[in-house]
Amino acid sequence: MAELLFYLLSLGAIGFGIGVIRTHMPLYSVLSLLGTFFCLAGIYLLAGFPFLAATQLLVYAGAIMVLFLFVIMLLNLGDRDELNRQTGVALSGPRLAAAGICAGLLGLAGLIAAGWGGKVTPTEAVAAGGVDRLNDIAEVLFGRYMLPFEAASLLLLATMVGVMSLAKRQRGEETEAGDTGWPWHKGVEQ
Amino acid sequence: MNVPTEHLLALASILFALGVAGFLVRRNVIIVLASVELMLNAANLCFLAGSRAWAAEGAAGGHPIQGPVFALFVILVAAAEAAIGLALIIAIYRLKRTTALDATRDLEG
Repeated sequence: MAELLFYLLSLGAIGFGIGVIRTHMPLYSVLSLLGTFFCLAGIYLLAGFPFLAATQLLVYAGAIMVLFLFVIMLLNLGDRDELNRQTGVALSGPRLAAAGICAGLLGLAGLIAAGWGGKVTPTEAVAAGGVDRLNDIAEVLFGRYMLPFEAASLLLLATMVGVMSLAKRQRGEETEAGDTGWPWHKGVEQ
Repeated sequence: MNVPTEHLLALASILFALGVAGFLVRRNVIIVLASVELMLNAANLCFLAGSRAWAAEGAAGGHPIQGPVFALFVILVAAAEAAIGLALIIAIYRLKRTTALDATRDLEG
């Protein structure tokens, strides 16, 4: 039963992944990405990582997706003619490179699935309560990986400062009269 | 769930291939960022597959908890990357009124 669910979720993840790169609308792409995240969260849960599944849903499907959707709505990237032009595929060079790399990776996937698939790893052999018990994670995170953890907090601080300085309108930046740079302010007096 | 670790890895490489294809082929910056997120998720799946195999193996002195911890770090980096990337998209949009990658060629030599 769980195996069937795993393969169904895998198919879902791959299908939504194809949706991410195939659609012409950024909104549909991001919603497909959301579907991939949900499928992967289910797979994490089945594989014995309940905490990671919850984190996946909270951080990825919650926070990051909201960020993506927020920007799409903010820029009002709706159904406009120019989108069809700008979301088309690029020149043949990158396409060829992509085709080559994808063929290689898909071949690798086939080799992995077919060649070495002999030994089945049952999740039941994994410790009860999943691999990622919070006690263990906390012990490692605040012990062995203390320095990377602090570096991560610095990274988040740098991100915050960077985003603020990027989003701030620079002094002397040229603007059309009455245009504050935000779509909903267009035509409004500053 | 009685599934070989290799099948998890195969799923991860398929997702990574999709991410690479989207990253190289698409011209809309938002879709390119979404492809990067796809690749990061594939990496996460690899970490967890390895951790699960290690835990099931019961190797003496093994640390299967490292997989989830690194997956957490990857999620953190993904969050930072998405925030910066989307701020850049907004800055580019204010300048160019478009989210097409090939509209930003000012630094082309």
